[in-house]
Amino acid sequence: MVRPLDGFRVLDLSDETGFLCGRMLAELGADVIKVEPPGGDAARRRPPFVGGTADPERAVTWLAYNASKRGVTLDVMRAEGRGVLDRLCATADALIETYSPDAIAAAQLDYATLHAAHPQLVVCSITPFGRSGPYADYRASDLTITAMGGNMALTGDPDRAPLRCTMPSSYYHGGAEAASGLLVALLARAVIGHGQHVDVSLQAAMVATIMTGASQWAMDHRERKRTGASYPVGKTLQREVWPCRDGFVSYALRGGAARIPGLAATERWLAEEKIDAPAWEGRDWTAYNHNDLTQEQIDALSGPLHELFARKGMRELFDESVKRGVMLAPVNDAREIANSAQLRSREFFVEVDDRGRDLKYELPARFARMTPYESDVRGAAPLLGEHNAAVYGSVGIGATELGELRRAGVI
Amino acid sequence: MDSSNQQQMPKALAGLRVLELGGGAAGPIAVRHLADHGATIIRIESRERPDFLRILGLSATNKNLDAAPMFMMLNCNKLSVALNLSDPRGVELAKKLVLWCDVLAENYAPKAMRKWGLDYASLVKIKPDLVMVSTCLMGQTGPNKDYPGFGGQGSAISGFNFLTGWPDREATGQHGTITDSLAPRFVAAAVLAALLRRQKTGEGAYVDVAQVETAAYSLSGWMLEFFASDEVVERDGNRSRVASPHGVFPCGSNDRWCTIACHDDADWQRLVRAIGAPAWALDGRYATLAGRKQHEDALEQGLASWTRKRSAEEVMTSLQGAGVEAGIVETCRDLNADPQLAHRGHFHPVQHAVLGDHPCEALGYQLSETPGAIERPGPLLGEHSAFVYHEILGLDDGAVAALIAEGILR
Repeated sequence: MVRPLDGFRVLDLSDETGFLCGRMLAELGADVIKVEPPGGDAARRRPPFVGGTADPERAVTWLAYNASKRGVTLDVMRAEGRGVLDRLCATADALIETYSPDAIAAAQLDYATLHAAHPQLVVCSITPFGRSGPYADYRASDLTITAMGGNMALTGDPDRAPLRCTMPSSYYHGGAEAASGLLVALLARAVIGHGQHVDVSLQAAMVATIMTGASQWAMDHRERKRTGASYPVGKTLQREVWPCRDGFVSYALRGGAARIPGLAATERWLAEEKIDAPAWEGRDWTAYNHNDLTQEQIDALSGPLHELFARKGMRELFDESVKRGVMLAPVNDAREIANSAQLRSREFFVEVDDRGRDLKYELPARFARMTPYESDVRGAAPLLGEHNAAVYGSVGIGATELGELRRAGVI
Repeated sequence: MDSSNQQQMPKALAGLRVLELGGGAAGPIAVRHLADHGATIIRIESRERPDFLRILGLSATNKNLDAAPMFMMLNCNKLSVALNLSDPRGVELAKKLVLWCDVLAENYAPKAMRKWGLDYASLVKIKPDLVMVSTCLMGQTGPNKDYPGFGGQGSAISGFNFLTGWPDREATGQHGTITDSLAPRFVAAAVLAALLRRQKTGEGAYVDVAQVETAAYSLSGWMLEFFASDEVVERDGNRSRVASPHGVFPCGSNDRWCTIACHDDADWQRLVRAIGAPAWALDGRYATLAGRKQHEDALEQGLASWTRKRSAEEVMTSLQGAGVEAGIVETCRDLNADPQLAHRGHFHPVQHAVLGDHPCEALGYQLSETPGAIERPGPLLGEHSAFVYHEILGLDDGAVAALIAEGILR
């Protein structure tokens, strides 16, 4: 079946911070070739591992975010390897890289050099702060990117340190943002006739996660603070995440045209459960505006909800809410997501038959359904050097030269 | 690069026409990737049922639909036409705009577009090369497709809430209805891929993006570990399995914080030197990652005793100067003064008729030769109606007056 990016070739020289971008492009149809050093990408050496024992072919992060790609080994830091990279670049539409500034300088992997040799090439740099500017040389992983992107200061309980997400969310925001930027640049080749530099800042991508909070500060100079499971709304603090019998659910006491039917349905639900809820009964929901409530009024509305949620489990609360049109959601963990009837009905998880490793595992299949195109995961992440012969053969490197490069430790 | 230069440079998507229906954040943010690169965006809106972001944060007494900052900040570079889709004549005019556009982007609940006859199956008959994207919370199919939800629910359903918090406390979730900012990046990528294909073959496409699925797809690593081990990785504060220290440390006493992370033993040695090699830090139990993980509580206390005597700025610059990862936990005020974001021109000033001067935020990537630009503030509701009625729909003054009188153009 046809994929929208059939015919495009992308060289993926990224580390964990940029893996997702290439996986997306591969599932959209590009021939994405993961280029890693002969010893393997650092992500292959980091836990967790499938089966629990350290094995570079069973590193979870590698497997999860390099699915659908082909893979070659190449030491681009050595001159012979850098020369081979040029031969690959000549056949490619785009290159993704996440190198440190030192490595860029050492291997002449800067945009100007790549562009001079390969004008058709779109070069996408995914770095914590962007390729230029006062922080361009700063070191940062997800922890620091989330902090300097403004999300962390607003996340977590007020009596403890600000928080990140335990999974590296900035790599996901940034990876998908990079894919979009890279595709804009591919479209722009029709306008300007050649490739260009796509300079992704993970920090800038994270600023968007606070939903214009920084720009609103510029207008009102009102400093927003982290407020735990609650959310500042109007003059009040309103719960967003609520405990229930076996976990947590998300529910907001907010109004607006889309939410008001759910509030009215909640009133009926409380009545059926015979929960004493004077703040809910007989209220004119069409006139409800959460911005005008006092904390006392919010607390009076919240009490009966705590009682309702404490009686029931997450699954039951969600199923009932779907039936009743109440805007409540379960705070799912991986097990509940894996068993979600909605996701299963959309065949969101597919089993990857990873014969090279004698493994079978499920993965999220796609981020978009695209009629009339295919966009599902294309197969397991590459074994170390799995496609060396095929890829290098396609750029005229035969068995003899490949052998020499291998002996020299370049491949 | 200053904005006048940006406006003179070629635009990647100049000439592309986009029709936008729906509201809230996830759909409109995705369209910004097209808008900022030169596409013409027309949003269909109505006073009959305004986008809820047009009233977000406003008091019940403030009925001004052109005064909500978040709406204006998210929808810069777009035009707004007033068109009431609850009247079939409004829908007929919308179909004429479908003939005008290349891309139709909508984020209503699935039943809305079908009700109006504006679903892809109907529209592809009149516009065979249409690229249409629908993005709702759960997707266009499945038992929960009509479940009404916002980003807050999306964050909960997809795992991001569960994964954020302290191990001994309730999940708090990451700030900011996280699927609202995550999903648009995927929506944009899918649409741009469809446009590349269309550039080559002339064919259209229909794209169905479930916001919850983009988030669960992002968490592929978490899901794969569950499938492989049948165990759920739990939230763990700021700690990491592969790095220590890896945390957020108090600076001074005024709720100021700075991150510190060491990814290997060499990082740790650099950190020890940078903080003056205090006796506690020289203890051999901290020399290896395993040792640092085992004694992480004590290690964090030791570091905090050093950071507490310093400002967050001082901790960041001294540790970064020593080659150690560290960064200020930036508040909204800090972001506005951040020299790196300023270097990128991340906050771009616009002048708005109601709000006055305010910033709009750039995308997370910069293109070297077609940088795009933020050229106009968010639209007043119906601000560009006259242009759309006359220039695109070809209505004369009499027809417009009649449709206004009948409540269709409002």
